[in-house]
Amino acid sequence: MSVSALLRTDWFGLLVAFCAGAIALSITQPTFLSSFNVYVMLTAFSLAVLVALSQMVILAIGQLNLSVGAIGGLAAVTFAGTMEVWGLPIPLAVLAGLLVGLVAGALNGAITHWSGLNAFVVTLATLSIFKGMTIGITEAQPFYDIPQAVKDFGTARVGFFPLLLIVAGGFLIAMFIFMRRAVLGRQLLAVGGNRHAAELSGIDVGRVIIAAHVISGTLAAVAGMLAVARLQLGQPTIGDDWLIISFAAPVIGGAILTGGHVSVVGTVLGVAIVTLINNALVLLNVDPFWVQLLLGALILAAVALARFRDA
Amino acid sequence: MAVTTAPEGRGGAGFRLALASNEVGLLLITVGAAALFWHLTPGFSSNFNLYALTRVLAIDAVIGFSMMVVLVTGGLNLAVGAIGVCAVMVGGYAIQVLGVPIVVAAAAALAAGAALGLLNGVLTVVMRVHSFVVTLATMSLFFGAMIVLTKAQAFNALPGEFVSLAKIRTFTFVSGMIYVALAIGVMLWVFFHHTLMGRQILAAGANTEAARLSGVPVERTIMVCHALSGALAAFAGLMLTARNGAALPSMAGQLGIDWLLPAFLAPVLGGTLLTGGVVSVTGTFLGAALVTVLSNGLLQMRVGEFWVQAFLGIILLAAVGLDRFRAHLIEKRRVR
Repeated sequence: MSVSALLRTDWFGLLVAFCAGAIALSITQPTFLSSFNVYVMLTAFSLAVLVALSQMVILAIGQLNLSVGAIGGLAAVTFAGTMEVWGLPIPLAVLAGLLVGLVAGALNGAITHWSGLNAFVVTLATLSIFKGMTIGITEAQPFYDIPQAVKDFGTARVGFFPLLLIVAGGFLIAMFIFMRRAVLGRQLLAVGGNRHAAELSGIDVGRVIIAAHVISGTLAAVAGMLAVARLQLGQPTIGDDWLIISFAAPVIGGAILTGGHVSVVGTVLGVAIVTLINNALVLLNVDPFWVQLLLGALILAAVALARFRDA
Repeated sequence: MAVTTAPEGRGGAGFRLALASNEVGLLLITVGAAALFWHLTPGFSSNFNLYALTRVLAIDAVIGFSMMVVLVTGGLNLAVGAIGVCAVMVGGYAIQVLGVPIVVAAAAALAAGAALGLLNGVLTVVMRVHSFVVTLATMSLFFGAMIVLTKAQAFNALPGEFVSLAKIRTFTFVSGMIYVALAIGVMLWVFFHHTLMGRQILAAGANTEAARLSGVPVERTIMVCHALSGALAAFAGLMLTARNGAALPSMAGQLGIDWLLPAFLAPVLGGTLLTGGVVSVTGTFLGAALVTVLSNGLLQMRVGEFWVQAFLGIILLAAVGLDRFRAHLIEKRRVR
């Protein structure tokens, strides 16, 4: 791969930025490379990457999903609630959580496709419905009684490596292969790139749209359940703050909002950069609210850069 | 799926009437819902509840107007809540720290809102991307900057005269704020239907290319709409601040996200098309009225305050389903 080809990829610039930031931090902040700090970063990364991939799948088909966080929250309280209230064993509770994500995603996809409505409004409505259900079921109180095994899993680590990352990493690799090699993965991009052309070449557009939403819902559900393990309780507020990061990472990673172009590697680097910024602010004792300001600026910069590159 | 088919299920003449004039239909549904709650629960018709209801309605209507003026262009503004809070904090700073008179502080808040909105408009035009991504970024940017600057501290020593503005009661049960919201509605109606700029905005929203070819400054219409949206968000913020008695950084929730649902519900219920070019000021006000009556009534019925949000989501879904159907009919009429 020549240098100019590298420069034209979505991810090369991000990789350089990430490495520069990491090197600068490791020189100035001795605690940055401590195994505990790396563990903290990787834990945050594990959750955020699933949230970002959940949105990325929908961006691939040229839609957007405002309800990612609401699905994650609903799956999280389902997971925690079925264990606490019904005493379900952990594997069944995980299945229940996954099922919630799957059904919620299928609903989003089916309503969007069959009504022909803008996915923005549909998912704004379902955001409110899913969030309302989460609040209604829990009456805004967390489920505290989480089995010890789940709690242990949430904090378990081998050196700097959190076990949560095994789950997130597994889904990440699966998504990478899926978007690159699987027929359905290629069809997602085809539908996002040019729906009409995709239809004419025999792709069942409805099936592809619903499948994308099902994948999105499932990934959000996994993220929600990991959040329960990490927080050690079934908080109804899980997912409330996912909206910006879910869009920021794929957009920083070169995804185009009109569809047809997303990059798994770019999205992962987008998450990595945001995680790095978060961590840097903590290490430098900066007000954590700067994160929001910086995230907004990063999204704008990424969009401007994409414009500049296309021109 | 019962949700999306519900409006069609009503069928018959009432449904066709609602289609013929969205406003009449909305008015009938709102009055019907109010009558039902009046009958079912004594709490609904108490003077105090009606006063509280009209006060919430006034604020939600202005939030709805704030989104409406951007929807007209075919865009949207996710940052309404963030702008509203930022503007209010500017106003609170002016009044409490700088000690300027109320009118000046309010003007400063409105100017700040308009400026932030204008920034959205300029970014949308310059970057040539959909306002979704621009306002997604700025909602995070504005809110983050506001929290950093204020250190999340409220301004809670506002002058009594300002706070008492929200307590004006007329006819023992109508909040004075409702007249302000109505006045804003009348001004917006005149603006969109009887000024050159307003007509140009509608033309640009309906068909950008055709408008451009006939000499409409499309870019300017987009910037004007975003600035107007920011000013209206600031105004809604001021009303909410007067009601709360303090300028609170948390009044619209994290990133101002709590305003999004009322902001979209009112115009969309009121028949403003998301594709742009169609505006209904009366509809937006009535949409806000329906939402306020339903959520207030459901609370009074003790459905459980926690479930109200889920109901509102279902209503939005039903409303956009109807919106889609209407757009379909308009399309048909055009072809004919």
